[in-house]
Amino acid sequence: MITIRDLRKTFNAGTANEVRPLRGVNLEVKEGDFVTIIGTNGSGKSSLLNAVAGKFLPDSGSILIGGEDVTRKWDWQRARHIARVFQNPFTGTAPDMTIAENLHIAWLRGRTHYPRLGLNAGRRSAYREQVRQLEMQLEDRLDNVIGTLSGGQRQALTLLMAVLSQPKVLLLDEHTAALDPKTAAQVIKLTRRFVEKDRLTTLMVTHSMQQALELGNRTIMMNAGQIIEDIPLEEKRHHTVEDLLDKFAELRKTEQLTEEMLESLRREYA
Amino acid sequence: MELWVGAICLGLVYAFTGIGIFITFRVHNFPDITVDGSFTLGAAVGAVLIASGANPFVSILAAFVAAALAGVVTAAIHTKLNVNGLLAGILVMTGLYSVNLHVMARSNIPLLDKTTCFTYLQSVNPGMHPEVWTCCGLVLLNVLFWLLMTLFLKTDYGITMRAVGNNPDMAAANGVHVNAYKTFGLALANGFAGVSGCLVAQYQGFADIGMGIGTVLMGLAAVIIGESVISSPSVAAQVFGVLLGSVIFRLMIAFALSIGMNPIDLKLLTAFFVLLTLVISAGVARGKGEKGGVLGALGTVLKLRRFRYVTAGAVLAILAFLGYRHYTKGPLRTGQEYRIGVVQYTSHEVLDSARDGFVAELKRLGYQPGQNCKLQLENANGDMPTVSSIIDKFNTEKLDIVVTISTPCTQAAINKITDRPIVFTTVANPFVIGAGKTETDHLPNVTGAYGEARMDKIVNIVHTLIPRKLKVGTIWNPALANSVVHLGNLKKALASCPDYTLVETTVTSTSEVYEAANALNNKGAELFLLISDNTVFSAFDSVMKVARRNNIPVFLSNLDRLQDGTLGCLGFDFSGAGAQGAQLVDRILKGEKPSGIPFEHYRDETFGLNLDAAKNFGITIPDEFIKQATFLHKDGKRVPGPAARKAAEGPGPAVPGAHKRIALLVFNDNIILRQTIGGVMEELEKSGVLRKYNMTVDTKSAQGEFAMAQSIAQDFVRQQYDYIITISTPALQVTAQVNKKIPHVFGAVTDPYRMGVAKTSAEHQPNLTGVASFQPIAATVALMRKVLPNAKRIGIVWNPAEACSEACTYKTREVVKDYGFELIEATVSGTGEVPDALRSVLGRKVDIFFTSGDNTVNLARPTIAQILREKKIPYFTNAPNDVLQGSCVSIGADYVEVGRETGRMAVRVINGEDPRTIPIKDYVPKKIAVNLPLAREIGITIPEDVVKQAESSEKQP
Repeated sequence: MITIRDLRKTFNAGTANEVRPLRGVNLEVKEGDFVTIIGTNGSGKSSLLNAVAGKFLPDSGSILIGGEDVTRKWDWQRARHIARVFQNPFTGTAPDMTIAENLHIAWLRGRTHYPRLGLNAGRRSAYREQVRQLEMQLEDRLDNVIGTLSGGQRQALTLLMAVLSQPKVLLLDEHTAALDPKTAAQVIKLTRRFVEKDRLTTLMVTHSMQQALELGNRTIMMNAGQIIEDIPLEEKRHHTVEDLLDKFAELRKTEQLTEEMLESLRREYA
Repeated sequence: MELWVGAICLGLVYAFTGIGIFITFRVHNFPDITVDGSFTLGAAVGAVLIASGANPFVSILAAFVAAALAGVVTAAIHTKLNVNGLLAGILVMTGLYSVNLHVMARSNIPLLDKTTCFTYLQSVNPGMHPEVWTCCGLVLLNVLFWLLMTLFLKTDYGITMRAVGNNPDMAAANGVHVNAYKTFGLALANGFAGVSGCLVAQYQGFADIGMGIGTVLMGLAAVIIGESVISSPSVAAQVFGVLLGSVIFRLMIAFALSIGMNPIDLKLLTAFFVLLTLVISAGVARGKGEKGGVLGALGTVLKLRRFRYVTAGAVLAILAFLGYRHYTKGPLRTGQEYRIGVVQYTSHEVLDSARDGFVAELKRLGYQPGQNCKLQLENANGDMPTVSSIIDKFNTEKLDIVVTISTPCTQAAINKITDRPIVFTTVANPFVIGAGKTETDHLPNVTGAYGEARMDKIVNIVHTLIPRKLKVGTIWNPALANSVVHLGNLKKALASCPDYTLVETTVTSTSEVYEAANALNNKGAELFLLISDNTVFSAFDSVMKVARRNNIPVFLSNLDRLQDGTLGCLGFDFSGAGAQGAQLVDRILKGEKPSGIPFEHYRDETFGLNLDAAKNFGITIPDEFIKQATFLHKDGKRVPGPAARKAAEGPGPAVPGAHKRIALLVFNDNIILRQTIGGVMEELEKSGVLRKYNMTVDTKSAQGEFAMAQSIAQDFVRQQYDYIITISTPALQVTAQVNKKIPHVFGAVTDPYRMGVAKTSAEHQPNLTGVASFQPIAATVALMRKVLPNAKRIGIVWNPAEACSEACTYKTREVVKDYGFELIEATVSGTGEVPDALRSVLGRKVDIFFTSGDNTVNLARPTIAQILREKKIPYFTNAPNDVLQGSCVSIGADYVEVGRETGRMAVRVINGEDPRTIPIKDYVPKKIAVNLPLAREIGITIPEDVVKQAESSEKQP
């Protein structure tokens, strides 16, 4: 479903602020795969997701979604097939518009816009049923503006909006990092349910080893703009958080990780 | 009533701009100020179409499309070129200024007689007050617009557009092409502004290049007021709030005006009100955030209410305070009889002196503000909507008469006021704004005084002072209607001076004037000749700075700045123009109908010369100019000139018995007529009648305009002068038409019999007599043959509109045959056309050029003389003094003698003879003057006996 070949990107090339988040990434994701991505800060996880979403265009390499080369396409063009949930719960929704209107924007994804009153009674009752799945008692508040909701509620709605129009690919960028543990667990539960229901091809960046191991059928580990480990489902079953940390320790030995990086990893994942 | 209804109407037409601003600033979160330009673009496109007869509803559609395109350009600059949105708007707004001028082709298009949407609306008026009916129509339109807009914002398009504005990242993540929607939103917003502009143009009756200034702020005020009055997340409520906000904003200003607040403070009040609203809504939002639940919500509502009362109370208190101060300073309300409203567009030297002249003359005529009349002086400070509101206020207050100072005020007034008299002044041309077709055929409730600055005269003076190749520089603002007219006149006038070339620079604001003056200097301008341009005059010191540094003489029209070292100025006395306005007001208040009062041309011209500056530049000023000057700058001091209007001679009601007054009208100021006047005055003084009857002589020149001559003649009759003397044929014609009573003596008239004032010398209009001085055409042609025995063709250029010239030309046609000449003719309608006509005649190989008594052609004599001198063709004329101005041989009347003859006849009339019994005197002198140096230069030998004859008549120069 996703084929990434030798993807490279350099920001601020030739200046003191030069950053090279992607230094030759190769990745093949099959339809229905649920890939979790882990790695240190600045290892290129989020950049990889942004590159797939089309937030920026790569310097070289190619991205294929479902066999179609989308390397040179803008984010809004790819958005027909790709849905995203951001780390910041405020990014994924329009705060001054109502729940129904936000859901309607998501529903319009990939559909031709017409000057018609699309948000009719039929759609509203459909949205009410969808919102009911969130089990957050939001189904009676369809006409409340999003700005009045909590971060967890907004993130759950963003997730719902992302899966509303059955995308080919779902991108989750640390979408529970800004939430309290209880809400985070609730959002993870919803994620699992939605992904499994539609068998969505999913890339999920996480800072939680536990999430990385529990969710999905494959885990990749990134460092310095490259994929350094690819752990398939069979292996994952046998892995523990400690195993993953050991893997990082091994990297330390091969000088691929500095002491500080390892330390930051322990802090974050343990 | 009209004030409030008018304010609501204005609010309703500006509401479309409000919605535009709502879409950009609120929906899109995009500070787009293109609207200032697209508003005008809509007005311009609409006005041009309507003026050319298009359906006004179609014009609204066109205005929408044009203005929407402007929005697309802003969006393209912002999205494609990644230019900051605010900057993109500023760029397009600035550029649109030029585009709008191109669209309109001038700075102001009147729509008074055109079919607009409002004309259609009135045609289905069931009998309501027109303004109220207009208001009903606009309310309906706004309700429809409100419904459509609300519906639109709820469609898929609308929802997506709102999402793009609210959270572009979210929209992009959901597959929305953010830039396309931004473009769409900007197009829509500017389109609505265009519609608003088009409607405003139709409502106020004209489109003006400056009408868009401040539209963004007005729209923003509507949005903010709307939000504070109706705070609801519902789209319908938000849109309604904007429409309501627009109306409230206009009502607020109307209220401020109605309690007599000085319009100067309006802008400050607007800013203050908007700020107050912002602060309060922020406070309310904080209150909302802190409290929850039903009780909290109730508390918020109550708090909101309370705040609203506080806002309203504060504004009312401020208004009341300012109003109170205005009233305590203003006129008292006791014992008033007449109510006169005066509205002035803005403050500058010309308008202020017109207003002061108006007030002074009104007082002189016996109207004492506060005692027997109430005088309201309003100044709109350059803001068109304020003009509109002031006029609504005048309407409401049932004033007896409205006086408008400046063209924009007049335009707005004649459109809004139909049921009471309007007197305008300081309007260059009332016909282009639709106040009338001619001086007598005009809107029934409108009359006034007008006049365009005389560029031809200025050019003539300058050319006499500096008769050489010269680059003349001028600066002007293409946005000002008057400047466009004046520049056109200047170009026309310069066409008659082939050795003068014009270099020009344009400005759009006062801040550019200094740079423009420098640019002119760099282009090699050797003289600054400034037309009457308000922008340039406001920054006049910048021009002077450049002129002084580079030693460039400056000549001005209409502005008196001799003390700053300008060489000279010629224009109208605008306090006199104001006084004329006051006299018209007096006539109307005494019962005359405005429909029966023709438009008057300005009467008082001012002419100032700076002798110090002339000395510095090494320019010699001829005595004849000094004699004409109304004031002079000499040895660092300002002194009244010989032609100054003495206070005692000023127009005013006649005081019978106290002294007698003679009115003297001359058609223009050419040298022949000035000599005639000299002769008349000489004789009047010599005879002693002036002292004997304690007489004063008021001399008026019509500046070569029939319209002005007519106004002056009418004024003579109205003021009941005791005697009238006219010099020149047109002066006689015009005066004989309007005056059938006052004794009238004429002079410098070629053929009074042709004109119908007399059948024979003895049989003439009973109240007039005078001197007919026939041009010695036959003698002239005979002389031509004598001087040039081999010549074949005589060229002549003449103006068929001049009766006297026609007579001369017909006579010449007859006579030339007898002497074997062929006459080559060309006709002109103005002095500016003379050089071209002359060249066309010269192209047909003439041997002699001849000008007889043609006033139009005579004004261009120096130019003609120069061209002929270059081509070595002898120039014959019929006034001996012409040799001083470059004619070769002149034979005809000594006009000083004609004047003396006229003066003697006037003395007879003053001494009690009835004009009826005095026969017209036919005076045919044959004085010869020869320009020997010129004759030698062009290779012509003047026969000895002719030279002798010339010497015997007078010594040669």
